[in-house]
Amino acid sequence: MADIAPAVIDARDLVKVYDGAGAETPALRGVSLTVREGEFAAVMGPSGSGKSTLMHILGCLDTPTQGTYRLAGRNVATLDDHELAQVRRETVGFVFQAFNLLPRSTVMRNVVMPMLYTQVPPGEREARAVAALESVGLESALWTHRSNELSGGQMQRVAIARSLVNNPSLVLADEPTGNLDTATGDAVMELFARLNAEGRTIVLITHEPHIAARTKRVVRIQDGLIVEDAATVGHQDGDA
Amino acid sequence: MRFADLISETLHSLTSNKVRSGLTILGIVVGIASVIAMIAIGQGSQASIEQSIQAAGSNLLTVSPSAGGQSGPGARSFGASVQSLTREDAESLAGLALVSGVAPSAQGQAQLVADGTNANVQIVGVTPAYATVSGLTVVSGSFISERDDVANAQVVVLGSTLAVDLFGEAADPVGEHIRSGNMLLTVVGVLEEKGAGLSNADSTAFIPLSTAFRYVTGSQYLSSIVLTVTDEEQMDMAEASVEATLLQRHGISDPDYADFQIQNMADMLETVSSVTGTFTALLAGIAGISLFVGGIGIMNMMLTTVTERTREIGLRKAIGADSSAISAQFLAESITLTLIGGVLGVVAGWGIGFVAANLLGVSAVITIDSVLLAAGVCAFIGVVFGYYPARRAAALSPIDALRYQ
Ligand SMILES: Nc1ncnc2c1ncn2[C@@H]1O[C@H](COP(=O)(O)OP(=O)(O)OP(=O)(O)O)[C@@H](O)[C@H]1O
Ligand SMILES: [Mg+2]
Repeated sequence: MADIAPAVIDARDLVKVYDGAGAETPALRGVSLTVREGEFAAVMGPSGSGKSTLMHILGCLDTPTQGTYRLAGRNVATLDDHELAQVRRETVGFVFQAFNLLPRSTVMRNVVMPMLYTQVPPGEREARAVAALESVGLESALWTHRSNELSGGQMQRVAIARSLVNNPSLVLADEPTGNLDTATGDAVMELFARLNAEGRTIVLITHEPHIAARTKRVVRIQDGLIVEDAATVGHQDGDA
Repeated sequence: MRFADLISETLHSLTSNKVRSGLTILGIVVGIASVIAMIAIGQGSQASIEQSIQAAGSNLLTVSPSAGGQSGPGARSFGASVQSLTREDAESLAGLALVSGVAPSAQGQAQLVADGTNANVQIVGVTPAYATVSGLTVVSGSFISERDDVANAQVVVLGSTLAVDLFGEAADPVGEHIRSGNMLLTVVGVLEEKGAGLSNADSTAFIPLSTAFRYVTGSQYLSSIVLTVTDEEQMDMAEASVEATLLQRHGISDPDYADFQIQNMADMLETVSSVTGTFTALLAGIAGISLFVGGIGIMNMMLTTVTERTREIGLRKAIGADSSAISAQFLAESITLTLIGGVLGVVAGWGIGFVAANLLGVSAVITIDSVLLAAGVCAFIGVVFGYYPARRAAALSPIDALRYQ
């Protein structure tokens, strides 16, 4: 690890205050975080500590109240609507904690949807969706079901498949194994490890130490601040 | 986003929310159909009223007696109680340049008895000219002739309804006898049905004028003289010459003291037109309100839809749709809904207009203006209220949109 890979995520002093929340306690109170290309990191912390808030900002889905965020070298605050859309569909694959599938649409349609906004030729879409669904281990019998007919774990896997169809270089996953049994959770972690081995940068949120242990770096958040940032056991060779 | 994908997304979205789409379309249909139907009925009624006046003859002048010597309309009395017009007056008018037909008449009320059937009817003494001037045609037998009039003949021509009342549906009354007071009238003709108009010829009995003088009115005075004028454009001139002639014959120098009055059908048509025009305007007003209500319905549906769908907009943005792709999708959906609703609305309005007009006994008049107005307003509302809220939602950050309640 002599060469220092370029930073994909470069966040400085991020502050997020939700307006409307009566007591003005910021969800983020000055978070600085750098994640380099090819990293595989876990974000941990108690419920309400600001993990999802941070992830949304890193995924260019929300804007910080203060602080700067550079994604792959570009200051996100300067991007226009069109450029932001491009980043969201080409660079970042986002898995929501609440899945956010279109309830009345089929599994297949949900997974194909991100490709509608890209140049992927129509003939190729289905094949890519099939590959993504297979990689998360969702039985093919479910592909034609409406997504609101699925169990939480099945929805979670559809959400992961959807985040992968556009081959993003950065995958941000908010508790991707939260609804999965150990075996399926392990399979998903294997998938992430494989994606990471292919060179993708992965940041995921988890509450489970054994999931965090399978990543290379753990960032701990408490009350909107990073309290610990360390390489996991077995990965201490890095520059954490 | 490709155009084919846009279409496919639009159809998918509309069909997977059938109730929502259905209600929106319904709002548009109601808005458009009500306007088209109302205006069709309004204009249809107006046309049919004007037509029935025109059918009665808009080139008619009616002279009737009126109490002379007093000024102010309140002092006048109308009808046969004033005795000022004579058969000679009528004959003198026949010589005027612009007058093509003169029909003097004397009317009264009489009890007719035929075969034990009784009818109290309006009985009118006429000359043969009356048929032409009033546009009456006989379906059976013939009208009162010159000879009947000269001979005080006891003959009668029955209006279509009256004939049925007295003799029943099937029978041909020609040749039958009717008793009325001292008269024993022979039916010589039955008139064709005239329909509802300004006169009620259908329920009237016509006898020779001289017979009426002798047996019905008991005097030699007329209750009216109806004149046809050769040129409708010159009604006013004809009216003036009729007035001058009669004033001179009656030896009256001041027109304010005339013992007759002249009614001009052209003026009447104008008056009635303005009344029916008001009626149409009223219906158009009601239609406008329906359009407004329909518009609010569409607006409401569209706004509800967008609120419901703000989450979807957030999601689509999160996976990489830009604002213009979102706008295009919602615009396509609005256009599709208003198009379907518009076509159905025009067809429904057309249908309702025809059925309702039929029930009212008029013919519906559907104008392209009303179709364009109704469809235009509804399309405008549908598209604007489908599109702009979606645009606003698309301007939110994906997370704000996803969390929108
Ligand atoms: N839209 C919002 N409006 C107001 N406050 C919010 C909003 N979203 C989050 N918060 C607050 O911000 C804080 C951080 O929330 P966040 O969702 O980031 O927590 P988290 O770490 O992801 O928790 P969990 O592990 O339960 O998912 C919480 O106190 C929460 O109440
Ligand atoms: Mg969270």
